[in-house]
Amino acid sequence: MATTTSPSSAQKRYRTLAVVKQEAITRVEKQLEDSVFVWPHLLIREFLAAVLMSVMLTVVSLAINAPLEVRFNVNFPPPAVAKAPWYFLGLQELLHYFPPTLAGVLLPGFVLAGLAAVPYIDNNPSRAFNDRKLAIAIFTMFVVFFAIITVIGSFFRGGGWQWVWPWQGEFFNL
Amino acid sequence: MGTSAKRGVLDQVTASVKSSQIWRSIFRHGYPDTPLNQSLIMMGNVFLHLHPVKVSRQAMRITYTWCLGGISFFLFLVLTITGVFLMFYYIPADQQAYGNIQTIQSAIAFGAITRNMHRWAAHLMVISVSLHMIRVFYHGAYKPPREFNWVVGVVLFLLTLLLSFTGYLLPWDQIGVLAIQVGSNMANYAPVIGDAVHRTLIGGLDQYPTQNTLIRFYTLHVLFLPLVAAVFMAVHFWRIRKDGGEAGPPPPSRSEVELNEAP
Ligand code: HEM
Repeated sequence: MATTTSPSSAQKRYRTLAVVKQEAITRVEKQLEDSVFVWPHLLIREFLAAVLMSVMLTVVSLAINAPLEVRFNVNFPPPAVAKAPWYFLGLQELLHYFPPTLAGVLLPGFVLAGLAAVPYIDNNPSRAFNDRKLAIAIFTMFVVFFAIITVIGSFFRGGGWQWVWPWQGEFFNL
Repeated sequence: MGTSAKRGVLDQVTASVKSSQIWRSIFRHGYPDTPLNQSLIMMGNVFLHLHPVKVSRQAMRITYTWCLGGISFFLFLVLTITGVFLMFYYIPADQQAYGNIQTIQSAIAFGAITRNMHRWAAHLMVISVSLHMIRVFYHGAYKPPREFNWVVGVVLFLLTLLLSFTGYLLPWDQIGVLAIQVGSNMANYAPVIGDAVHRTLIGGLDQYPTQNTLIRFYTLHVLFLPLVAAVFMAVHFWRIRKDGGEAGPPPPSRSEVELNEAP
């Protein structure tokens, strides 16, 4: 707030501090029993996680080559089925049942908007599992539904999007 | 003895390096093994400053975050580094792109492993970001004051998918081009703006991806989307701190609390 006299530098600093939220300040002395120094306790965990990921990724990349199919040519006959990357195969599976406007545009848009709106729809203040049974049930159904249609789109669909069994060997592309 | 004389020399060298102006201009405090130095390093180092000085012991547990947000960020860094390497050899031209990838995969030192890492890290990032979102949901960590950071997260999720999608076209192989054709055809079905979106994605009126498409996807993939993602990640990390750090494991429920208070 503007004052008529020019405030001293000490007052100015006080004002800035006053708008910093309590919980956003690092309080080194507070809750000694319940908090630990980031150096080394958190940093060592992050470092180990990074090393572990690096090793895993290197081993996988040494063992398995990224796919590269034949060069694209407009004149070649298209393959029996053009599958999207696996994370879109759930949507591609939905396209099998619903018109493209619904399955390809409105539904993904609705899912994203719905996800973004989650914190504003769910205004139950409690974070305890037992107080959130409905929210957890709805979300779990949503996740399981998407997992199932993604697996079906990936492993159970062959040429012309016909049903196949995984052992018939028509998979998706990585 | 011999060893103590040697240690004497080492100690002397160490001491003079550590007291030199160069050393002290880089490291402004001693090794972080005292609470003061442990605080100073977290506040004085621009990278470490992403973190607070101290964190709650509960929220730091591996079984709380499963490191999933951190792994997503780590994979983003891996993808950036391997991606820069690939850019040295890849030309986004429909006549050359495929050949470039073949060369990277077969003739360039560390080309194959770098391309493999780029591809597998991209898949892993889609998985880790999805799992991260799922874990945040189950912990109810999107509740006030973290609502907006969840929204930032949803944008990051979308950006991760778009990065993968735009990268899929670049090798210019059969499956990549056809998948992008199918994908961009979806745009046609968007009400009202469908045609315009499709034309913008493909870069013209063609049925199939063309050179125009390739240069658009390439630019989005290597420049625009990573920059936007980096900005959103910066906001995401900043907000974690400003919202009071990690939410931590959920507290006991109302009924559990009542039960404990009853007797
Ligand atoms: C590129 C993608 C992302 C990166 C790099 C990222 C990174 C992180 C990191 C490092 C954390 C700290 C704790 C942890 O590891 O869990 C975090 C927390 C959080 N993230 Fe993400 N995230 C991403 C995507 C998302 C998505 C998709 C959502 C949700 C839709 C989300 C929502 C949140 C929320 C609400 C928190 C606070 C959680 C808490 O307090 O327990 N993030 N994120």
